[in-house]
Amino acid sequence: MATGMRLKLKTVFVLYFMVSLMGLVYALMQLGQRCDCTEHDLPKDRTISRLRGELHRLEEQMKKVEATKSPHQAPKSTPPTIFVITPTYSRFVQKAELTRLSQTFLHVPQLHWVLVEDSPHKTPLVAGLLADSGLAYTHLHTATPKERKLQDGDPSWLKPRGAEQRNEGLRWLREDRRAPQGADSQQGVVYFADDDNTYSIQLFQEMRGTQRVSVWPVGLVGGMRYERPVVEGGKVVRFHTGWRPSRPFPLDMAGFAVSLKAVLANQDACFDGNAPMGFLESSFLQGVVTMEELEPRADNCSKVLVWHTRTEKPKMKREEALQAQGLGSDNAVEV
Amino acid sequence: MPKRRDILAIVLIVLPWTLLITVWHQSAIAPLLAIRKDDGGEGKKESGGQAQDSKEYCASDKDIIEVVRTEYVYTRPPPWSDVLPTIHIITPTYSRPVQKAELTRLANTFLHVANLHWILVEDSQRRTPLVTRLLRDTGLNYTHLNVETPRNYKLRGDTRDPRIPRGTMQRNLALRWLRETFNANSSQPGIVYFADDDNTYSLELFEEMRTTRKVSVWPVAFVGGLRYESPKVNAAGKVYGWKTVFDPHRPFAIDMAGFAINLRLVLFKPQAYFKLRGVKGGYQESSLLRELVTLNDLEPKAANCTKILVWHTRTEKPVLVNEGKKGFTDPNVEI
Repeated sequence: MATGMRLKLKTVFVLYFMVSLMGLVYALMQLGQRCDCTEHDLPKDRTISRLRGELHRLEEQMKKVEATKSPHQAPKSTPPTIFVITPTYSRFVQKAELTRLSQTFLHVPQLHWVLVEDSPHKTPLVAGLLADSGLAYTHLHTATPKERKLQDGDPSWLKPRGAEQRNEGLRWLREDRRAPQGADSQQGVVYFADDDNTYSIQLFQEMRGTQRVSVWPVGLVGGMRYERPVVEGGKVVRFHTGWRPSRPFPLDMAGFAVSLKAVLANQDACFDGNAPMGFLESSFLQGVVTMEELEPRADNCSKVLVWHTRTEKPKMKREEALQAQGLGSDNAVEV
Repeated sequence: MPKRRDILAIVLIVLPWTLLITVWHQSAIAPLLAIRKDDGGEGKKESGGQAQDSKEYCASDKDIIEVVRTEYVYTRPPPWSDVLPTIHIITPTYSRPVQKAELTRLANTFLHVANLHWILVEDSQRRTPLVTRLLRDTGLNYTHLNVETPRNYKLRGDTRDPRIPRGTMQRNLALRWLRETFNANSSQPGIVYFADDDNTYSLELFEEMRTTRKVSVWPVAFVGGLRYESPKVNAAGKVYGWKTVFDPHRPFAIDMAGFAINLRLVLFKPQAYFKLRGVKGGYQESSLLRELVTLNDLEPKAANCTKILVWHTRTEKPVLVNEGKKGFTDPNVEI
């Protein structure tokens, strides 16, 4: 009986040792992970984890819905990617503009945002925003030479803006982009979207089938409710605009999209930063397309799907007064 | 006898370990869930039903400029959850050229938020077809109301009236609708937020306000002539004042976009409305909040009021000079 007990005890101790060892290893593994240690309030943690579990369940549910939908669609080819080139520059409303822009873009499948900062280097504000946005993106930057930049107090129409940045976006598409292999590598549409305009989701559906250059009306531009190409017999015959209609392409930047094929085929087409006011779009389009080849969209150019909104510069009188006293708002807080 | 002693020994050794493991699991389950969510990005920010299956390709080791994500585009709006509190968003709106653009981009933002109910109140005699169609086409869960601010409340020739701040009657109508529709005794959790149609909202804001118990507050950018205005929060996490330059001694020196109210509180105090007449500039929000809550009850959000999640952007009034007296563009084309 005694030996039996001793043997039993030894196995028990061995077991005890193994279990402690496993527990230690497990604890060490936990230490290596990130831990949400901000709140030690257990009931709050439970509701949070319950809500998170609920959200996770909803996401799984949505993924399942998407998965059941996809067998109905042709799984062979993905839709052509829309490359949206947006020039941006640092000012108070920049983060707000880019935030609401990204919220619109998140609704568009196969969209690649090419954000080009007017800056000698990448700013952490934009880098952080892009990383958190959930979009596929490319973050570029190029500084506008001083003589072409608007000074504080210049009216916005004095010098064309964003030309260098858009050209940098085009350069990336032509030179740096790592295109996927196969016949689809030239499929795509390029759209120049300014960061203060307003875009409807349908606009991106309209432009996806662009073969060369497609066009549509733009609201609130050219001093009018909208500007648009005039379509007869499915072709653009002239442009309905109240300002300098004799331009080769009296369109706004937001009023056209170019196929990636056309961008890659016409390597020299780019925006001329020295072009007179209103001719920026023409300086690019002239190298790519003729008026007869334009493809009208948005129901033969009768619907407005994009608006040339502009955001007011926020009044900072009190901020400036405070900063003069050295009491300005905390600069560590990103606005 | 020996067998019982053996069993006792085993139990005494195994019991503390099982206790340890259960306690460990209890405290570890919350961070585990957090880790699972964090796989797709910053889980805390993107909790509005939008996880991603993300793969990141780096163009070069030093400088990541291109990020490609394989992303699911989920059904929008997200499916309704029985657990999350509903966010009732009250937006007053009025007809002007940028109205459709503003509501479009606002809808693009709201489409990302789970359990959102949009109460859009027009300042008009009848519900306009523009807004009716827009609301229907978004697919959002909405309620469309209207009430016209009487002409004698508006200054002659100018719709901007200093006597009654714009949107007051519309917000009050929405509050009344909520009180008539929801029973104070039913346990449907909800949050009420006043969102103007020209501001910019981050998606994180809606998740912050979902946990409001009475009234929660946070900073707002571009108000009061400052980069941002914010509540002052002490070390105990309580609001004790307001970091503003313009009249910081107001009972609630906060912008309309800077607070949210729990629906239960709105229903519990059915006499609380925005004061219509005789309200000094900047005291509108106080006229409602002082009937609902005291300073001590306010819940600071956005990391104890240190992050900016909402911007008081304003859209420029478009210059429509080229329309001329008779109108150059076709008035049947909706903008």
